[in-house]
Amino acid sequence: MNTKGIKLWDENAVPKHRIQWCPGCGDFGVLAALKQALTELEIVPHELLLVGGIGCSGQIRNYLNGNAFHGTHGGALAYALGAKMANPELEVICLAGDGDTLAIGIENFVHVCRRDPDLVLLVMNNGVYGLTKGQDSPTAGLGKEVRVFREEHPPMVDPLLLALASEATFVAQSFSGDVKHTARMIVEAIQHPGFAFINDFSPCVTYNRFNTYDWFREHVEYVPPDHDPQDKDAAWRLVRDFARRGKVPLGVVYRNPRAKEPHGRLPMWEDELAAVDLEPVLATYR
Amino acid sequence: MRTNRLKLLVGGVQLRDGVTTVTDILGKIFTRAGLFAVAMEKGYASTIYGAHQFDPMLVTEEPATSYGDPEVDILVALDYDSNPDAPEQPNRDTVLRHGASLRDGGILLYDSSTGEIPTDRLEARGVKVFPIPARKIAQSELKREVVKNVLMTGALFRLVEFDGDEAYLTQLLEERFLRKGREVVDLNLQAARRGREEVERILQAKGYRLELRLEPRPGRPRAVYISGNECLGLGAIAGGVRFYAGYPITPASSILEFMEQWLPKYGGRALQGQNERESIRAAIGAALAGVRSMVGSSGPGISLKVEEIGVSGATETPVILVDAQRAGPSTGMPTRPEQGDLNLVVGGGHGDFPRIVLAPGTIEECYTLMLEACELSDKYQCPVFFLTDLNLSEGKKTVLEDVFQRRKVQRHGVVREEDVRGRPYRRFELTPSGISPRSVPGTPGAIVKVSGAEHDEFGFVSIDPRKRAAMMEKRMRKLETYLREDWKPPQVFGSVRGNPVLVGWGNTRPVLEEARLVLQSRGVPVALVHFTHVFPLHRERLEALFADAGPVVVVEQNFTGQFADLLQRELRIATRRVNKYNGVPLHPTEVADAVVQALEREGAVVRIGGAVPVPVEVGRNEHEGD
Repeated sequence: MNTKGIKLWDENAVPKHRIQWCPGCGDFGVLAALKQALTELEIVPHELLLVGGIGCSGQIRNYLNGNAFHGTHGGALAYALGAKMANPELEVICLAGDGDTLAIGIENFVHVCRRDPDLVLLVMNNGVYGLTKGQDSPTAGLGKEVRVFREEHPPMVDPLLLALASEATFVAQSFSGDVKHTARMIVEAIQHPGFAFINDFSPCVTYNRFNTYDWFREHVEYVPPDHDPQDKDAAWRLVRDFARRGKVPLGVVYRNPRAKEPHGRLPMWEDELAAVDLEPVLATYR
Repeated sequence: MRTNRLKLLVGGVQLRDGVTTVTDILGKIFTRAGLFAVAMEKGYASTIYGAHQFDPMLVTEEPATSYGDPEVDILVALDYDSNPDAPEQPNRDTVLRHGASLRDGGILLYDSSTGEIPTDRLEARGVKVFPIPARKIAQSELKREVVKNVLMTGALFRLVEFDGDEAYLTQLLEERFLRKGREVVDLNLQAARRGREEVERILQAKGYRLELRLEPRPGRPRAVYISGNECLGLGAIAGGVRFYAGYPITPASSILEFMEQWLPKYGGRALQGQNERESIRAAIGAALAGVRSMVGSSGPGISLKVEEIGVSGATETPVILVDAQRAGPSTGMPTRPEQGDLNLVVGGGHGDFPRIVLAPGTIEECYTLMLEACELSDKYQCPVFFLTDLNLSEGKKTVLEDVFQRRKVQRHGVVREEDVRGRPYRRFELTPSGISPRSVPGTPGAIVKVSGAEHDEFGFVSIDPRKRAAMMEKRMRKLETYLREDWKPPQVFGSVRGNPVLVGWGNTRPVLEEARLVLQSRGVPVALVHFTHVFPLHRERLEALFADAGPVVVVEQNFTGQFADLLQRELRIATRRVNKYNGVPLHPTEVADAVVQALEREGAVVRIGGAVPVPVEVGRNEHEGD
């Protein structure tokens, strides 16, 4: 590993001793994987835009080099969409939690899957609202057997199936306890020419005492090499099959880039905005 | 004979009768003929089909002060069917609803395809009545029902003795329909001729003498017939906006349509948001990337965007928000005007953050003030509101093209690589003006960390009390800078000293100007003070302005007097109020009457159209869709 390259990512960032995650938080794994992937792809920090959600996970944006934005709960994807539409030259990565993405921000998740902007969403999924002390998120209950549900505690949302149903073109899953694989997924997501969604299981060591590192190590299984990620039916089947077996797939579940019309950076500098002729518009109103 | 001043009203069934097709043709042709048209009192319903729709239009030799009072010279009823609610007068919602607005001696032109209607009462007032079976002629003779509108337009041209109408109409029809084939143009021209012939026939049969006339004034400076939304869209393009996002909502949808049509031609993009929040968030994202960004909506949508206004304010990411106001609260009356969103845009959001609120007074200012909004948002890096209302946004008028001056787009304080070389870059640097050097992602040496959470100069999150206080003060200092450098005082008409002062803001300016003239003609000397830069207000300069003023009467289209409240809060002056909130636009004479009443006592609140008990008639179905 290129250690000099990795060190670059520690600049313009909160010093390591000030990172405000619990010891052992799954997000540390994501941070390490992110730095590895960015180093591998030789991405330059000033061309990177990290859009953080609200929650423990969103803080990651300030724990490494690169531009960062942090707005409202549930809004990360929509800010990222606008930024990417305005300047496609930016490498845009959204880093948010499961509550941010699948509860308050589900409207953006579904529609950004459809819109397919060329950006990455990595959800640090731990099944709880950690920052507010452990309330259930929409992904709460992974692997738990529940026979009777209540309105207060409905079945969980499966982020992969939701992404597939929402016409996402890249759907992958990782486990932050497996940094190398997570980094691999991030690399492939960045390389995907369209919206790339990674559902990363990032254990909350304080508030989720069920889906622990050990639990994940027992339940994860790599996507078999004979899986055809271009085949949407196969992707759907794979997720269902794993669920039936009580397993959690790791890897690229679906990848099928969509034909899209490219667009350049929008005009924003004085010289780009100088020669504006309103005549064609006025002519239609004469 | 009265030449080149008349007000007409075209009414009919929404979608079916093509009311605005007719007024758009008229507006365009009168504009081309060198006359001035104003159609800013549009009445329609928030349904697609079936409701009563009307569109009054004032046509004048010189630009009119305002669209004037409701009284019309000519009533054109395109509706032809019977009204089950009024069997005594079948047909014609338009005649029923607007007959009373028709002046004595005026003209009624209506579609008599389903029979003539009793018009004795109108005729007793000297009204000249022209029943023309337009639909029947269109169906049986011309074989195309749709040309009934053009037939009525032709009839109308004859009624106002408009010379050269055929040439103007031919040109317009060719522009619109020639690609569909010559025969479509010819059919429409034939319809217009049939309309003229019908008028001719009635003129001879009834021996009417016409006394209104519209004469073309060729060779005048070029003008366009255009709406407020189109003007503000043009202003945004000229002002450098290259990203627009909007969720469909009346009356802001036409901004989205305009931007979708034109923005790509100037290298920009227009995004139909999946909801109100996606729209403004995407706009904030685009602004973060450095592109001038704008969103448009109406009250309900602005309410939904409130959280993001705070994001724009706290992260110092500029966004222009157009609020085309409509009558609230809740869904309210989507197709009726009101000035009810001032409190929302001045106070909406948790916590304190800087914002600027502008409100154009005219369709022309929708362009010129938008240029200013673009510069202000860039300079002050905060949300800038642009308040119109339904009539200003959807209303149309003849606008001389010299209004559309270009101004050089300036980037304010956006740093480039060379500006930050060799020194640490602080995105939120504490500066005397409060304005910090902005950089856009992609600039080498100027990494930006931006957060709606409180932060230090570098943008890293901080709850340190000193840093918090300094950052809050820095942000709010931008408003002091704005008041010092860019705030514009209200426009003053007449002398404030010792005289009663009419105060207005935003889209009511033309009506208030005319109301002032009405009052003057009655021997009541009043001044008018009209605000376009409505928030924040410059206390010292305004206190000086109002120091020797007489009673201050604030005229607004809302229930409580939101701007009057703001004035009282900021300037500590007593106000009297005139409020109208029934969904009907303000008209000059009623304003003048109300002001006279308001001048009678201190603290007066006069409600136009509010105090009259409305009779409820059993059995008459007045329900309209929402």
